[in-house]
Amino acid sequence: MNWSLIWKAGIGLAGLGIVLGIILAIASKRFHVDVDPRVTEVLAVLPGSNCGACGLAGCEAAAEAVVQGKATAKVCKAGGPEVAVKVGEIMGLDMGEAVPVKAHIHCRGGKSLSPLRAVYQGVSSCRAAEIAMGGGKACPFGCLGLQDCALVCPANAITFDEEGIRRVNVKKCNGCGLCADVCPRGLIEMVPAAATVFARCKSRYTGKRASNLCKVACIGCKKCEKVCPVEAIRVENGFAVIDYDKCTNCGDCAVACPTDTIQIWVANPADPEGGEFTVPEKEKAAEPV
Amino acid sequence: MNEGWRFFLLFFGSALVANILLIRFIALCPFFGVSNSLETSLGMSISVIFVMVMASSVSWVAWNYVLEPLHVGEFLYIPTFILIIASLVQFVEMVIKKSSPPLYRAMGIYLPLITTNCAVLAAATESVKPGFFTKLNIAYSYGFIESVVYTLGVAVGFSLVLIIFAALRERLDMAPVPKYFKGIPIAFITAALFSLAFMGFAGMFSL
Repeated sequence: MNWSLIWKAGIGLAGLGIVLGIILAIASKRFHVDVDPRVTEVLAVLPGSNCGACGLAGCEAAAEAVVQGKATAKVCKAGGPEVAVKVGEIMGLDMGEAVPVKAHIHCRGGKSLSPLRAVYQGVSSCRAAEIAMGGGKACPFGCLGLQDCALVCPANAITFDEEGIRRVNVKKCNGCGLCADVCPRGLIEMVPAAATVFARCKSRYTGKRASNLCKVACIGCKKCEKVCPVEAIRVENGFAVIDYDKCTNCGDCAVACPTDTIQIWVANPADPEGGEFTVPEKEKAAEPV
Repeated sequence: MNEGWRFFLLFFGSALVANILLIRFIALCPFFGVSNSLETSLGMSISVIFVMVMASSVSWVAWNYVLEPLHVGEFLYIPTFILIIASLVQFVEMVIKKSSPPLYRAMGIYLPLITTNCAVLAAATESVKPGFFTKLNIAYSYGFIESVVYTLGVAVGFSLVLIIFAALRERLDMAPVPKYFKGIPIAFITAALFSLAFMGFAGMFSL
């Protein structure tokens, strides 16, 4: 055995390691840069595998983006909600990103309310139907009813009945937003879980044109806009849109709505679906003549 | 052959004829990992050029003035080079972070990812052992300048392919690709065709 070679190799490598280690130790003191302590804290919470699923260059970039406010607490896709909660705690939950959300489908036209213009016999998928001349439904903005959202939902929270009416089970919905991505007509919106007032139509047509295609369409009359005390509801592109940052859930718009498009969600813990949509008593009926 | 012409051949030979990604199939991990968008691949390319040239010049010095005189180079070059490359990258990262924040923002974030990149080790190894990975057994060693030119060629070849491929993949996202080929599978197929095209350089000249 060549002992001198082993000695040389051992000492050479150890010496190199020690020298490089000392250089790095000195350099880390000499070139020390103060960083926001929150960056270090957030970095410690992130998984640290630099997978890049967030679209940023590694976990450190993600941590910096969170601290600078360029990314939300939910930046880490790999870490999921647990990491998001921890990041939110470090950031003091001041970004408002931790508000739980639920899915809402902005269409309530079932088979009897919204007529068909053709019989679609293609692949049973909303996205396929949308490509094939927009499917069989007469309303070009409404739910096609082929259940893409129900199939993609990991919690099985979306159900369809024979009438084609969709229900989101708020007890099961975990707010992942997959259904909102999959809907070819963009009908599904993630709304704050506390919201109770919903404008349930996205028809860009107004007046007679909208009501001919669907009995429960938003006709764009703007009555809701006028009665809203906080300017949270606006008619844009022919349908009412509620800004949940401003909405106080007072329900005045639902009372004013002539087509019952705007409805109130009444939460009911006993209900297997977590509650149901109701139409408030209209003011005209309540007014003394 | 005059000096300039030799450097020219060395540079283009290492960049195109023996391209590290498409002909030698080294560093396929960053090739698929960071070629999602043009922007990240640009940042990665700049960092790779920078680190590769620095790492192999330091490795060349370590080989010729430490390992060879001690006759331990043959079996110690991999741990030594990895040690050198890792420390160097850390050191450079610290210096850049302190001295030039904009540069750090542009390439600093890719530096830790390159620490143990196989392409950097391959370039450092080949700069002291010419033709090591092509099994050519060239009984010839590079001088310092030659090794720098060679490594620069490798790094530029890496960047060129990475950037072209990133641009290609951005277009592939828009292309009507069958569902089961979307994403990485079609990227692999494209890379194979790309590699075939680069084989065409092999007839021009060799290292």
